[in-house]
Amino acid sequence: MSSLVLANIKAGYDGADVLRDCDLSVAEGELLVVLGPSGAGKSTLLRIVAGLEQPRRGRVIIGGTDVTNWRAGRRNVSMVFQNYALFPHLTVVENIAFGLEVRGVGRKEAHARAGRVASVVGCGDLLGRRPSQLSGGERQRVALARAMVREPDVFLLDEPLSNLDAELRAQTRDELKALHTRVGATMLHVTHDQVEAFTLGNRVAVLNAGRIEQVGTPEDIWRRPATAFVGCFVGTPRMNLVSRGSPLLPAGLPVGDITVGVRPEALRLQSLEEGTQGVLAGVEHVDVIGGDAYVHVRASGDSLTVRVPAQDRPSPGAPVRVTARPADLHVFDAATGRRLEWP
Amino acid sequence: MSWPRASASRDGRHLTLMLLPYVVGLVVLVAVPAIATISLALTEYDLIGRARWAGLGNFRELIGDEIFRIALVNSLVFAAIAAPLRVLVALGLALLLHRRARGVGTARVAAVLPTAVPEIAYGLLWLWLLNPFYGPINLLLRAGGENGLTVLGRTPPQWLTDPTDARAAIVLLSLFTIGEAFVILLTARQSLPIEVYELAQVEDATGWDVFRRITLPMLAPVLALLVLRDTILSFQLSFVPALVVTDGGPPPYATTYLSLFVYRNAFEYLRYGYAAAATLVMLVLTAVILVVQWRLIRRYRSSYEISATRSR
Repeated sequence: MSSLVLANIKAGYDGADVLRDCDLSVAEGELLVVLGPSGAGKSTLLRIVAGLEQPRRGRVIIGGTDVTNWRAGRRNVSMVFQNYALFPHLTVVENIAFGLEVRGVGRKEAHARAGRVASVVGCGDLLGRRPSQLSGGERQRVALARAMVREPDVFLLDEPLSNLDAELRAQTRDELKALHTRVGATMLHVTHDQVEAFTLGNRVAVLNAGRIEQVGTPEDIWRRPATAFVGCFVGTPRMNLVSRGSPLLPAGLPVGDITVGVRPEALRLQSLEEGTQGVLAGVEHVDVIGGDAYVHVRASGDSLTVRVPAQDRPSPGAPVRVTARPADLHVFDAATGRRLEWP
Repeated sequence: MSWPRASASRDGRHLTLMLLPYVVGLVVLVAVPAIATISLALTEYDLIGRARWAGLGNFRELIGDEIFRIALVNSLVFAAIAAPLRVLVALGLALLLHRRARGVGTARVAAVLPTAVPEIAYGLLWLWLLNPFYGPINLLLRAGGENGLTVLGRTPPQWLTDPTDARAAIVLLSLFTIGEAFVILLTARQSLPIEVYELAQVEDATGWDVFRRITLPMLAPVLALLVLRDTILSFQLSFVPALVVTDGGPPPYATTYLSLFVYRNAFEYLRYGYAAAATLVMLVLTAVILVVQWRLIRRYRSSYEISATRSR
């Protein structure tokens, strides 16, 4: 187990950068989640750490050693692929033992160690089966066991939960978290799912278009998004962006070209009888999702989404008043997208 | 609603219509000749006189026929050597050429091309290649040696005059017409999931380990199929080379295979009944070999499945 540092990584082809100047460090025993939309360069980042791709510039440092020019097999990392990449012709125990056997560990010992790791991960009763006889969740466990058996310095997980159905994903997520707590390994986990990122990660790095926009604890990223992209990408429904001249905004905002974001749950709706303050708005339509309702309103030129408890929802077409607390406003530079602190 | 049923019956009519040409072909080209062959095998027929009932006489004669026995052994030896070698060559080329790289396209074409050459032309070409005096193969083997010997001081193979060398020559000829197997293995290799190979890379598996533990087992079903196919094919594969290149010789009938034996008896000695009987023996032999191979493959596969289900 070791720390992992990516320094100034640049990757891609001429004219098409996949990663630009990425700096990232994962502490020993930390689970860091890289969160980003598809096409952001998450997988490339992971593959560069694994040694499956070479960066055009920058260094990969594992446990203080520069491994940038080392071949994949020498780096002592292990990887869980999105589709698990299990060998269809090998049994579970043979799959798990593969990495040990090709590294010269005897068959008997390799199988014994594979069996032990399998029971840690919870697939100890599947050892004799083949991948085709396993469910999605079971395959995922086997892939995890295979990654763990060598006791690598760094674990790389490429969207390992995305092929599971929702219920199983939540369960496996919790198990993965518990496993990390128990094993305490250095893990780099890549996902596009913000719930996964926030529940799993000690810290989360948000990646967009090849650039790391923010690295921080889940709470940091939620409360103080460093850029407009992070603010909008994180949270469902997405953050509302309000135009500069909206009467919703208080006086005293930073001058200049700015974008102001406010989360749907930070806006408050009142009927005309209830309140006299706030901006007059019309309800366009209402989506009820379980206990919550997403109310889409139009207020002086801005389309806003407001999240309210389902029982408090107004009916479509009704006039309402919208208010926002100044403390809930996120102000970004319109040109760079970076967060501006105020007041 | 009535139209789904109408469409079902229309589908049925379409199906019959579409299958008709195939069924007609099957009947005219396979079923009728097969029945004709079986009945012919029980007669003496020389195309001129009336066919004469012979019962099992043809088969009795085959048992005692020295040349038939030689042809049978030649065919079996050829199948046993050529079929696996051909698949091996195709596999080697496919693994060499499955990646994109400079010159790979040309090399792939070169690998397929001999299969596209008409068989007679291919045979004539080899007649020149194998010529003991001016053939390029022996010129190459004699390079650096003295008095017509190789560098090692050995006599170069007498491809067309020595019985063993002639048999080797026919096998050699068959090793270059592997275009179909090559294309099948090429696509099979390309369809193997790339992640599995990337995983092997991360796990630091050597090239040999990757081949032995991943590529070979994952291609095994295709390889088994190709060996089965090539075994059947080998009975026909040896025909044109034996006819054009070695003419069934050198004595004693070194390259007379079953197919050539049948051809000679039918079209040169005009013994259609006898040839038909030999054809039937060839057919039964092929069927037996196929069943044995199929059993072996199934046993290999089910030993997998048994060990897998036991743990349930």
